[in-house]
Amino acid sequence: MPLPFHPADGDPVPAALRGFARAHADLVELHEKPAHLVARHRDPGRRVGLVSGGGSGHEPLHAGFLGRGMLDAVAPGKVFASPHNKQVLEASRQAAGPGGVIHVVKNYTGDRINFGIAAERLRLEGIEVRRVLVDDDLATESDETATGRRGTGATVVVEKLLGAAADTGLGIDELADLGARFAAASRSLAVASCAQTSMHTGLPSFQLEADELEYGVGIHGERAQKTIPRPSTEDLIDRMLDEIVAGLPAGPDEVVAVVNGMGGTTPLELYGLHDLVLDGLARRGLAVSGTLVGTLVPALDMAGFSLTLTRMQQSWQEWWAAPAITPAFPRTAKETAR
Amino acid sequence: MIDQEAVLRRYAQAVEDAHAELTELDQRSGDGDFGDNLRGGLRKAVARFEAGGVSAFEALGEEFLDEVGGTSGPLLGLLFTEIAHALDGRDDDQAAAFGAGAKAGLAAIQRVGEAEVGDRTLVDALAPAVAAIPQGFAAAARAAKVGADHTAELRARMGRASYVGDRVKGEPDPGAVGIALLFWAAATVAEPKAEVDGPLGH
Repeated sequence: MPLPFHPADGDPVPAALRGFARAHADLVELHEKPAHLVARHRDPGRRVGLVSGGGSGHEPLHAGFLGRGMLDAVAPGKVFASPHNKQVLEASRQAAGPGGVIHVVKNYTGDRINFGIAAERLRLEGIEVRRVLVDDDLATESDETATGRRGTGATVVVEKLLGAAADTGLGIDELADLGARFAAASRSLAVASCAQTSMHTGLPSFQLEADELEYGVGIHGERAQKTIPRPSTEDLIDRMLDEIVAGLPAGPDEVVAVVNGMGGTTPLELYGLHDLVLDGLARRGLAVSGTLVGTLVPALDMAGFSLTLTRMQQSWQEWWAAPAITPAFPRTAKETAR
Repeated sequence: MIDQEAVLRRYAQAVEDAHAELTELDQRSGDGDFGDNLRGGLRKAVARFEAGGVSAFEALGEEFLDEVGGTSGPLLGLLFTEIAHALDGRDDDQAAAFGAGAKAGLAAIQRVGEAEVGDRTLVDALAPAVAAIPQGFAAAARAAKVGADHTAELRARMGRASYVGDRVKGEPDPGAVGIALLFWAAATVAEPKAEVDGPLGH
């Protein structure tokens, strides 16, 4: 396994943030102490700032979605570690509008606590704060734990829809309620054929044979609960779609679909998977409001992919179609896939 | 009028004295850094206070929120900050103001950390102390000590200790002990004649 091209000091995050900010200097601004990035432009109609963040290693999430139509500021932590509350606090101070600030938080204990502490500090400063918790990963749905489903690929969908809704001038309570509904309408599943390279050893974090597949992985290199014999790609997509569709709450037969690479999966593979996903959705009688294909929420260089479906209400369609001018959202305005 | 500076210094000294024991407690249940984090935060808070311009509890709040690692450090920072806000400009009834701040701090810690009484966390010492403080600082300190001692019988439901199951039983939760030390320090300053026992035999 080849070693990654990280700086010699062993911490890839600061250099990557500087490089990212220099590559997209027209759209984002980097503040280094404590580390956070701020969008340079926002819709004049937006009254409530949107802030997200989390561990690094999931690029382009979250900094790639900074900009008009999506996020106002982000707090990147170290690789696979939640940001310090001070980072979230500073990002939120920069992003807050006259109506306050909303935190889009992936459901992990460390993120919940650090964003929560930042939220308490913001309240002490007189800034209104609400949290939208993203918890879409079906692989972690269990009655036996209190931690709930992990937050993964649906984060991009929630940030897109919520960004467009915020640009219409909605208030903080309406937005928090909408964000919760976007998250509740989303489910994801992820698989891996090879673990990501360990930052410490340069070796895969766990071993899989060529005829095995890790089914239900997360985005932090953790193993899934099960390893399965590797099915054909067609059968795999069918199995994943069956489970995700069954996991969605009831609602209109209209979805947004995300085919997300986990870092070590090529566009050749991802577009092929997208083709199978669209056919599979059509066979299930589901209309497609839009799709995203690409490496959007990876786990470093893990070889694998995740599928996310969000069941769309009619009133959400225009938010999905609205422009998003960010470094990484695949397009500035949507054409329907129908 | 409670002497905030005296409480800070008494608390800092108590934590210096208890450092080894707190570390040992945390090694049984967590990752062993609680004693270092608490002592480090208090040392920084004393230095911040001595640099001037802030009250003792403001210094505690700032340092624990910004500079102390782990989860419990910033959670304690929320408590100190709420107490600082409540005490600010109040010199009539300090016990009431301190109690209001501690109550607000407890609420903030529970909003963020989502722990209840009985989960074996610092809430097990803080909640009874907040409930008792209308009877005065000595009563609050005794309630905090009883709460901290009681965590020795509990299995952890939240925090790092929740991963090791029943193996933490028999010794108190270090976070709860840290809270009991704070209320012990406040009581010895505010009601020096009350002669309250602190946790860990202080």
